[in-house]
Amino acid sequence: MKQVLLIAWREYKQYVFSRGFLLFLIMFPLGVIGAGAAVGFLENNKPTRHFVVYDQTGAYTAHIDRELERRHMLSAIAAWDVYVGVSTDLDALVDSSVPDVFQPGPVNERRAQEFTAAGGFDVARENIAPFLKSLALPFEMPRPSFQRLPLPNDFSETASLAEVEATLRPYLLEERLVRINGGSPQPVFAAILIPEGFGPQDDASPAQYWSRNLTDQALEIAITTALDTALRREAIADFGLSEEMLDDVVAIDAPVAAFRPDRTAEDAELGLQDRIETALPAVLTYVLLVIIFGVGNLLLTNTIEERSNKIVEILLSSVTANQLMMGKLVGIAAVGLTMPTIFLFGALAMSATSAGQENIMAVAVASLFSSNLIYIYLFYFLCAYVIFAMIFLAIGAVSNSLQDAQSYMGPVMVLVFAPLPLMVMVFQNPNGVAASILTWIPLYTPYAVMMRAAADPPLWEILGATALMLAFAIFLMRIMGRIFRNAILQASPPKIRDVWRLAKNDGE
Amino acid sequence: MSDKSVSLENVTKRYGAFTAVDDLSFEVSKGEIFGFLGPNGAGKTTTLRMMLDIIQPTTGRIAILGSTSAIPVRQRIGYLPEERGLYRKMKAADSIAYFAQLRGLSRNDAKAKAMSLLEQFGLAEFAHSKNEALSKGMAQKVQLLSTIAHEPELLILDEPFSGLDPINQQTLEELIRNQRDAGRTIIFSTHVMQHAERLCDRFIIIAGGGKRFEGTLAQARAGFAKRMHIRTPASADALFALGQVASLRPEDNDGGDENTYEVTLEDGADPQGYLKRAIDNELIISRFEQAGATLHDIFMSLAGEESDRGQTTRPPVMEAAE
Repeated sequence: MKQVLLIAWREYKQYVFSRGFLLFLIMFPLGVIGAGAAVGFLENNKPTRHFVVYDQTGAYTAHIDRELERRHMLSAIAAWDVYVGVSTDLDALVDSSVPDVFQPGPVNERRAQEFTAAGGFDVARENIAPFLKSLALPFEMPRPSFQRLPLPNDFSETASLAEVEATLRPYLLEERLVRINGGSPQPVFAAILIPEGFGPQDDASPAQYWSRNLTDQALEIAITTALDTALRREAIADFGLSEEMLDDVVAIDAPVAAFRPDRTAEDAELGLQDRIETALPAVLTYVLLVIIFGVGNLLLTNTIEERSNKIVEILLSSVTANQLMMGKLVGIAAVGLTMPTIFLFGALAMSATSAGQENIMAVAVASLFSSNLIYIYLFYFLCAYVIFAMIFLAIGAVSNSLQDAQSYMGPVMVLVFAPLPLMVMVFQNPNGVAASILTWIPLYTPYAVMMRAAADPPLWEILGATALMLAFAIFLMRIMGRIFRNAILQASPPKIRDVWRLAKNDGE
Repeated sequence: MSDKSVSLENVTKRYGAFTAVDDLSFEVSKGEIFGFLGPNGAGKTTTLRMMLDIIQPTTGRIAILGSTSAIPVRQRIGYLPEERGLYRKMKAADSIAYFAQLRGLSRNDAKAKAMSLLEQFGLAEFAHSKNEALSKGMAQKVQLLSTIAHEPELLILDEPFSGLDPINQQTLEELIRNQRDAGRTIIFSTHVMQHAERLCDRFIIIAGGGKRFEGTLAQARAGFAKRMHIRTPASADALFALGQVASLRPEDNDGGDENTYEVTLEDGADPQGYLKRAIDNELIISRFEQAGATLHDIFMSLAGEESDRGQTTRPPVMEAAE
């Protein structure tokens, strides 16, 4: 046992105390912060898309403006909530007399109306000022995503749609630019042409959306929503309802709460923790895949190094092949677990230091530890690791170089990643047919059970499939162990057709 | 308690239809330097691996340090394989200490021993250098020190001289003698006869997986034809005429009145009887020197034809006279 631990420790030290690993540990959080900052920066600095509307009816431009204003308001409130969560003493703010509408909450139509009615962002800023942290920056309204421009000067108000289209085409093709408020010339992103006969009837003329950019559909969707809403408003107004009443109707959001039938009435409502518990298996399965792929490569390169550097025979004069194999498995497994453990501690530290309401990190950590999930994940992680690690070890033992290993690695990689498409199905329906099939394939039992663990799968199925998986793992350990023992000392790597002979022979 | 460190009894190793080691038996006594000689492919490495239980014999029995398997006594054995390497990124002192720990030393003892050995062999300044930064000779020394750091009572060295320069070969020879003087048993394989001739108390020659000879150099020589160097003005024909001459070869001659010949007598012939006949025949003999067979001659005679397993028939085993 001492020898196994010594080998494991050496393997562990070689990778974890290497400059590369330490650099990665430092770089990873910096990278995450950097990537987050970059996304935020790009989001904040996303260019405003400029568009023009030619409305022959004269009735719909205002609706479009209102829809875009509504959307901008909602995104501004969402940004406000994040700002308040980060920049203020939230506990004090919650206990204060600051109106609820200025405190983080649901981002919807009604809140947007109430927010505006309560005085908008200027009043909101004044309200939260006493609770701002010392180094907090002032809140900045996000830039609007879209801005409607007046029609170009060379434009006749009475032009036909065909003439308008011909006039706008050079702007849409960026052959001509528009100067806005004396600033730099800007291209026109899209043009919306609303013909005289536009309406809800089947034979009505459709509104036209012109743009060279076919990938960014946000404006098209916003315009469609604006026109839908406008036509519905017109239809409802025909029934005699006032504008104010229409506004109230439009602001209605149906309150829907989700419940779990397997809980008592008091605890049945789904909360953030439930959502996270559902997502956690998918995240952990993904982490497992990444770790297996990563440490599998470590095992492979490391075994090839010992084989090609001729260290292995010295090792085998001091320990048995099984001890060597076990030492490597334990050491590299520890390397694989180090990274998630460090990040888990990081998450724990973050959740401990960050105060406030629903902290996703804290909830994720809590849901991992509040049930037996962590043990289930650990058990199946180790099973999956042993199964794939043995395969990598055997490949390392029959290869003198990474080039030799390539011929075996292709099929193994297909095996490792084959369940990925099915995993989406398992995630959506953890007790469906795809989930059952994957559960009963020993190679994928760990993935499938981890994905299903939080969804209360049938116990007999899990126990049966786990027993099958353990039997398979033991069989694989024997076969791959024999290949490792028999091949590791061969001067030249065996041919593929000889590998089965090595697997059968227990005594060479 | 047995005075044998190692004994092999009718050991055979087959890989499918290929017989790597064939019915091999020999013994190694405690405290001796035992040479394991044979051409490439003779089965030396396979035999050493079987002794260490790295691979198992197909048939036969092996006893090592009183155990039927090397596994329980591994910590008392030091093994230097023919093809050896080091972890490139590991430091020299750490390498020695790591292998010493694997063979039973505590962490502190292993580190202390590593440093003292590096100092003793003039490598102290490279103790904290990575192995990849060492020269080939230094790396070989580190490998050797890794083998002896745990002070094993049995050292098994597979082709330890290969790749060493003459200075390091000399150092290794001294180390082997020192180890023997410290009471340890050393088995080393080689196909360089000079080392074996200088070092071995006893040796075995194997070829084609089987034993050709086991014993001391004197015993090996005794079984070989007698050779003499004779300086005489007499002709080669006159020397042949004295009888029992197997072969006669003129040696470096200076063109004077006398010539020197290497005369090899037939099996069982007595050199003294030959000299007496020469004097009786009134031949003038100005130099007479008896020469035993060299180990190289013996080796070539016993194993030379089977180099690299080209031969299927085997010459009879030469038994050493006890």
